[in-house]
Amino acid sequence: MAVVQDVHGHHDHHPSGIMRWVTTTNHKDIGTMYLWFSFAMFLVGGFLAMGIRAELFMPGIQILEPELFNSFTTLHGLIMVFGAIMPAFVGLANWQVPLMIGAPDMAFARMNNWSFWLLPVAGMLLVSSFFVPGGAAAGGWTFYPPLSAQGGMGVDMMIFAVHILGASSIMGAINIITTILNMRAPGMTLMKMPMFVWTWLITAYLLVLVMPVLAGTVTMLLTDRHFGTSFFNAAGGGDPVLFQHIFWFFGHPEVYIMILPAFGIVSEIIPTFSRKPLFGYSSMVYATASIAILSCIVWAHHMFTVGMPTVGQLFFMYATMLIAVPTGVKVFNWTATMWRGSMTFETPMLFAIGFIFLFVIGGFSGVICAIVPIDIQVQDTYYVIAHFHYVLVSGALFAIFGAVYYWLPKWCGRMYDVKLANMHFWLSMIFFNVAFFVQHFLGLAGMPRRIPDYSLQFADFNMISSIGAFGFGLTQLFFLYIVIKCIRGGEKAADRPWEGGNTLEWTLPSPAPYHTFETPPVIK
Amino acid sequence: MNNTEQPAEKASAMQVAKAVFWSFLGIRKKDDLDRDAKMIKPHQVVIGGLIGGVIFVLSILTLVKVVTS
Amino acid sequence: MTQGVTKINLEMLKKLLIFSVIMFGFGYALVPMYEKFCEVTGINNLLQPDVVDKNIKVDMTRTIAIELDANVRGLPWQFKPLQSNVKIHPGESLEVMYEISNVSDQEISGQAIPSYSPRFLEKYMKKFECFCFTKQVLKPGETRQMPVKFVIDPQIPVDVNTVTISYTFFALQPGK
Ligand code: HEM
Ligand SMILES: [Cu+2]
Repeated sequence: MAVVQDVHGHHDHHPSGIMRWVTTTNHKDIGTMYLWFSFAMFLVGGFLAMGIRAELFMPGIQILEPELFNSFTTLHGLIMVFGAIMPAFVGLANWQVPLMIGAPDMAFARMNNWSFWLLPVAGMLLVSSFFVPGGAAAGGWTFYPPLSAQGGMGVDMMIFAVHILGASSIMGAINIITTILNMRAPGMTLMKMPMFVWTWLITAYLLVLVMPVLAGTVTMLLTDRHFGTSFFNAAGGGDPVLFQHIFWFFGHPEVYIMILPAFGIVSEIIPTFSRKPLFGYSSMVYATASIAILSCIVWAHHMFTVGMPTVGQLFFMYATMLIAVPTGVKVFNWTATMWRGSMTFETPMLFAIGFIFLFVIGGFSGVICAIVPIDIQVQDTYYVIAHFHYVLVSGALFAIFGAVYYWLPKWCGRMYDVKLANMHFWLSMIFFNVAFFVQHFLGLAGMPRRIPDYSLQFADFNMISSIGAFGFGLTQLFFLYIVIKCIRGGEKAADRPWEGGNTLEWTLPSPAPYHTFETPPVIK
Repeated sequence: MNNTEQPAEKASAMQVAKAVFWSFLGIRKKDDLDRDAKMIKPHQVVIGGLIGGVIFVLSILTLVKVVTS
Repeated sequence: MTQGVTKINLEMLKKLLIFSVIMFGFGYALVPMYEKFCEVTGINNLLQPDVVDKNIKVDMTRTIAIELDANVRGLPWQFKPLQSNVKIHPGESLEVMYEISNVSDQEISGQAIPSYSPRFLEKYMKKFECFCFTKQVLKPGETRQMPVKFVIDPQIPVDVNTVTISYTFFALQPGK
């Protein structure tokens, strides 16, 4: 928590101790809190994952009863998506967007504080739902009815948590849009904005577009459960398939919400360490925008086995595959940026390159899932699990790690221990692949997801996967150690620790003072 | 308030259509892009994008109809 | 921060909030849109009589065995088919009877939902009349016999010899 403490208090005095963090409206404080919160949630979600993998280490039921196992998978998904990945990106946006566009703070500083403090409430709801009668929600992170229409109090707590997280995300998104559109320094035209800012602008628009729809869905679920409506209740004339349509109308844009800021981060890191401007900057902007728009018309690729006319299946199959095109073009742009650049391989760059490698694998398995006849086989198997962990862990999460190493010197004015950080990368890379690559085979061989037990022929690969997962989990504790070590007393970092960094934040001293850009910088 | 470069002249519908089309692919020539950036206004892009999206959907639908018939 | 910027920001906030509220409404609007879509395209047409081509040919060379099944979920009724299986030639129209009785001392309404096995039977099963098209209200102790009239389209794949038609009655909340 000492990230910015030593530099605060030049201008005005504010409460100290815990009250400082409760009442703060400073974008840096809030960004820091977002990041710590998301790391805490990452550990909770990670603990659940370890439980899942421990149970799956061997066939048979050893440590988790099936019902509890289902709660573990459900809450693992919810906590990682809404508690770890999304808040981490919002935290990065809080820190970096004002610094990168030359704004003194976020547009609505007070609202920023609220949107953060909603998160711990939601986090507590999710975690404590394990201890209420009936246990936590167990119907999967997608909470399909009828399972979510049954279930006990834990499901209600989950619904409220999703409401709160949705409200927080919407407020955060509104704040980010307004900051980016209205508070850029003079001369910072839209087309001069750093790619990270662009991707966040588009992400924020996606958030205000689909988060309210999610809020509507969970509200319908709540009224179905308690107020006698029958939106999804077949007995009352409702339709559980309707839920899936509305959920995925939110859900697919949501996966882009979790990857676009990662694209932005990688688009900052790659040029810095290739010492070349981003190849095709403006087409990247265009492609990001069109990915965002088109992501709203592919949702039913999650529902191929639910029952759909052939025309529908083909439509969603073609649309999904076509949207992979602008995504693929981005990969070529990053590669072209590195081409003949004078590259060096600092930790952020390692994570960025690891991202490109593994994200491509995840993208390909996505396209394979999009092919209807194949998906009918692999839907709800470990193949899908492998797909989305390749895009979310080695995609979104690796980008977040890269971003932390990239900006940590700016945030706390100290350099992380390079040796340890590189080791963190290599361990993550190896253990991640050990854990998840074999899951492709498990899925193709027919192992269903969300089950605590499996037949014997899956035993070997599951054991390998569990070993990889334990290694990956431990490696992340090591990450915590590296960050704390850096904050406590790393080497002093230069104002511009990466000589290839050309965005505005590198013109500031390290660590970034509590108040920055109170007089806007002028951009040539 | 930040746009120092005022649009020189209004972009034609064709130019917007081209920009939108290329954006779906994710590539655009630098010169064309500079021209787009100068001439096309944001609301034109948004409207163009929406129309482009509808055309995209309709053409996939047509393709599907052809394939299934 | 100058006053001007704050004002633009507030305006932006208002617009974005309104947009969020609209999208919240849009989530709800998806419900009737979905129903309309299914109705127009004829997907998920469970509760309407089918229109059947008058010149449909009976295929005497084939016989399909139909197994009839009945369930109740969450209401004090007894529900059973009066014959547990029948045989039919594709294209031939047939009537089967079901019986429900309310064994409680309250008036209760319920709705039957059909399901078929194999699943694609739905495409070939044409019903002119069914107790599942409307809700059923039973007085205390009442017993009722109800018909289902249907044909099976001769287009049904030749390898299908046995099918199952199942109905499940669900309780309806009072006032629905
Ligand atoms: C190249 C682009 C992509 C394509 C073509 C694609 C395609 C698909 C398809 C067809 C499915 C459904 C599989 C099934 O349930 O049978 C799926 C699932 C999923 N995808 Fe992707 N995807 C892509 C990229 C991404 C990205 C970037 C993310 C997130 C960062 C993502 C996250 C997910 C998640 C979380 C699921 C599983 C949801 C669940 O059932 O729990 N995908 N993807
Ligand atoms: Cu998707």
